[in-house]
Amino acid sequence: MSAAHDLVVVGAGPAGAAAALAAADAGLDVLVVDEQRAAGGQILRTTPPEFGGRRKLPTGYPWAGELLDRARSHPGIAWRHGATVFGILPVTADASSAGGADASAGPGSADGADASAGPASAGFDVLTSDPADPAGSGRVRARRVLIASGAYDMPVAIPGWTLPGVMMAGAVQGFLKSQRLRVADRVVLAGSHPLLLIVADQLLAAGARIEEVAIARGIPSPVELLRALPAVPGHVRLLGELAGCVLRLLRAGVRISTGTVPTEVLGDGRVQGVRLARADRGWRQTGPARTVEADALVLGYGFHPSTELARQLGCALDWDSAQGGWIVRHDAQLETTVPGVHVAGEPSGVAGAEQSRAEGELAGLTIAAALGRPVPERALAGARRRIRSASRFSGVVQRMFAPRREALLELATPATEICRCETVTRSTIDGFLDENPFAGTADAVKLACRSGMGPCQGRYCESAVAGLVAKARGTGVGEAGRFAAHIPVKPVPLQAYVALADDPAEVP
Amino acid sequence: MSERYDSIVVGGGLLGAALAWMLAREGARVALLERDQLNQHASGQNAGSLHFQLEYRMVEHGWESARTAAEAMPLHLEAAREWAALGDELGESLGVAQQGGFMLAETAEQVEVLRRKTALEQEWGLDVRLLDGDEARRLAPYLSDSVLAAAFCPLEGKADTRIAGPALARGALRLGAEVRTRTEVVDLVPAGSGWAVHAVERSEAGERRLRLEADTVMLAAGVWTTRLGQLLDVSLPTIPLALMMSVSAPTAPFVPHLVQHAGTKLSLKQTGNGTVLIGGGWPARLPLAADGTPDLDSRPTLLQSSLVGNAAAAIGVVPRTASLPIVRSWVGTTTVTPDQLPLVGQVPGRPGVFVATGGSAFTLGPSFARSLIALADGRPPGIDLHPYDPARFERLSHARR
Ligand SMILES: Cc1cc2nc3c(=O)[nH]c(=O)nc-3n(C[C@H](O)[C@H](O)[C@H](O)COP(=O)(O)OP(=O)(O)OC[C@H]3O[C@@H](n4cnc5c(N)ncnc54)[C@H](O)[C@@H]3O)c2cc1C
Ligand SMILES: Cc1cc2nc3c(=O)[nH]c(=O)nc-3n(C[C@H](O)[C@H](O)[C@H](O)COP(=O)(O)OP(=O)(O)OC[C@H]3O[C@@H](n4cnc5c(N)ncnc54)[C@H](O)[C@@H]3O)c2cc1C
Repeated sequence: MSAAHDLVVVGAGPAGAAAALAAADAGLDVLVVDEQRAAGGQILRTTPPEFGGRRKLPTGYPWAGELLDRARSHPGIAWRHGATVFGILPVTADASSAGGADASAGPGSADGADASAGPASAGFDVLTSDPADPAGSGRVRARRVLIASGAYDMPVAIPGWTLPGVMMAGAVQGFLKSQRLRVADRVVLAGSHPLLLIVADQLLAAGARIEEVAIARGIPSPVELLRALPAVPGHVRLLGELAGCVLRLLRAGVRISTGTVPTEVLGDGRVQGVRLARADRGWRQTGPARTVEADALVLGYGFHPSTELARQLGCALDWDSAQGGWIVRHDAQLETTVPGVHVAGEPSGVAGAEQSRAEGELAGLTIAAALGRPVPERALAGARRRIRSASRFSGVVQRMFAPRREALLELATPATEICRCETVTRSTIDGFLDENPFAGTADAVKLACRSGMGPCQGRYCESAVAGLVAKARGTGVGEAGRFAAHIPVKPVPLQAYVALADDPAEVP
Repeated sequence: MSERYDSIVVGGGLLGAALAWMLAREGARVALLERDQLNQHASGQNAGSLHFQLEYRMVEHGWESARTAAEAMPLHLEAAREWAALGDELGESLGVAQQGGFMLAETAEQVEVLRRKTALEQEWGLDVRLLDGDEARRLAPYLSDSVLAAAFCPLEGKADTRIAGPALARGALRLGAEVRTRTEVVDLVPAGSGWAVHAVERSEAGERRLRLEADTVMLAAGVWTTRLGQLLDVSLPTIPLALMMSVSAPTAPFVPHLVQHAGTKLSLKQTGNGTVLIGGGWPARLPLAADGTPDLDSRPTLLQSSLVGNAAAAIGVVPRTASLPIVRSWVGTTTVTPDQLPLVGQVPGRPGVFVATGGSAFTLGPSFARSLIALADGRPPGIDLHPYDPARFERLSHARR
């Protein structure tokens, strides 16, 4: 096994790239692992080089091109693309590594600056899939790790949502950005997050017919708009981009309805129509539903941070609905409750690209400082200032577009599948809660009903399951708790475990 | 004022749930107190093997220890009967399937272990027979050619760990028992002819202290048994073992049996949902508390050597598992005792308080429950419990607060 890296960064989005760059500039030896083929994460996703043409990055982020270029060409940063990190294990004194051979080969942590006790001093083994060999696996050792794993679309279970043709806004955009693929011709979009308007605009430009955009919330009140004003300075370009989307949609004659929620997806084997209904200020259906014909429904109610690696490592998390649900607890240095494990970007609270980049920068700097590299106070102050400025904007976005989870949960009828991996319906979960008054956590429901046990590891159903528990027991979602996460955070074949051995000849 | 019960059960794993149900069936007024949620610890995390053959951990340390371990055979025979009838008695499925279990040998040495082990088990009355490799593969075409011999026990099988404990607790509830979760027992003191149980109930709103009284108290606290013993000033020595399990995504049924190995740590089976469960006792690392003792309330750490070893053992005898997608590898903590035999009986010097733990206490849970209830009633238990008497340790060391 090769020597330990000072820092392994999981995720090459704005947070991971900025962290890697800051840390490498300060003299650390950094490895970035990302399951995608190229750096950029969600927001800076581009078509593969085979498509030719110039790289097209979103206009709202003037720093993006330079960040990626500088990071990619930095001699202190190594990249491993196409590899999924499926687990991270602390290296412990008595825990010999896979083959049992190099128990003593831990990284020399004699560095006095690395004073934190516990696992941090011995480092971590980062377990990855092998991009070249689906049966294989890889392992890299790190003195510190940074979880910059981004976010994924918030799932919302409504009747018919498992029909082919129902997709999340982020996925639809991913297809457009990475493959110039338009997922459908006639599309209804429903949601509440501003991304929905951007995706609608992009679908329109790609030649789709937008049948309707159904926004759950009403038109912002003057008071709300006034409260949103502090977000404007420094974000004029972003707001302009959004306004441009709305203008183009309206000019194309697209119907944008506010106070509207989807109540059912219709179709036989694929989406053929969507039922939409009026909703009150709390997003609860008020009027009868009407049918809009379409061959796709795109849902966009927000994002959940990707916290599975932090959970697997045993980091503490906190429930914060507006910030995306369960977010990773951290200190001012962006270190989690597990010494040596840091977090930046969406897992610390969904706040968008600008704030992710600023957090990445701060994390890179503080990790370098913790490992004894000189870091100018000015650089730290600059990163902190950029986080503060970005959070003024993200805070307003979070407040204005916070999902009304209880109302969204009520879109699921008894027959609606909550867990699509294990096909567990709402009535199964409600029934279990009814018959088992002693059960009061999301994990207890998972164990008994299998909801959350499938290949997606509960990413799709966790918030709905916890919401049902909270509703049945009259508690908050935080009290209902979250699913535990284990290795592998994304499935790997059993033989990938064997491939972790240092020396295949030593496999027992 | 405190609430009064005939019996209070401490711990809501399989054993506690079985105790509550069996007690309630006999008409007792029962309360089950569980600190966490039901079934969240060993009982919900284990492999669900119903094994009656001696396990690898019992034969790996030589013949003397195998002979000692075999002394628990009467409990196992009773457990085999118990599980076969339990679902019907309860009126709910526990996912029990007793379609037979193999213990495999891949070397001549292991074949010899199987031969002696089989003979020993047969002496104790277990239905087990030795097959050569081809005979085994005829029954189990999924086995690899490397299998030279197999001991086959038709009684062995599995139960569904996800549902068994909660189903028994529901049964207890239907019979009028109380089941209180998020309720931790913090002290046990004599009160009149019975016991006062002090507990703390936790909720979003905060903590509430409870005082309950009962004629008898049943300790069903798994790895926390020693700690409860300390509340009573009694030494109930247990050794915690953190063990790893893995499960695959569902796949079409191909392994109807329980599969174990005579030369390495392996247990493998396919659940009713089609998932393949792989374990066998590969260790994980238990964190230590500040005082150097195992910290039972923190999460143990997986060891890579166990990931590698367990996967290699499984693929070696059931090659099809190599490409199965694994969705989870987790760690659970279970108890053994210093002499490998379970602890079952009255807590020494504390009449009215009973305890059971140690070893394959998922398989043995229902038998433990039945035995404790008989003892508490002053009835003779179905089997001789003397080898498992907790007093055997009390005689060695006398702990005082
Ligand atoms: C589809 C989509 C569109 C978005 N559009 C906008 C927008 O228009 N404006 C805006 O401000 N925000 C948008 N967001 C929010 C977005 O999360 C942030 O803008 C920004 O991308 C966050 O940066 P990040 O570095 O924290 O995470 P990301 O950019 O998400 O990067 C995380 C990276 O980690 C990798 N990764 C995750 N887990 C693993 C693993 N286990 N192993 C290996 N690699 C892993 C991923 O492949 C990804 O490349 C969007 C989000 C999504 C999902
Ligand atoms: C990975 C693994 C695999 C295994 N495989 C098998 C197998 O295949 N077959 C088999 O037979 N056995 C197996 N075992 C062993 C088996 O799981 C255990 O022996 C059995 O589940 C113990 O059940 P229990 O009810 O006694 O304890 P537990 O299930 O641990 O329950 C004890 C309960 O007591 C509660 N508690 C503790 N202290 C207090 C307190 N002060 N107040 C209130 N509540 C308290 C705990 O929260 C816990 O819920 C395995 C164990 C592990 C870890």
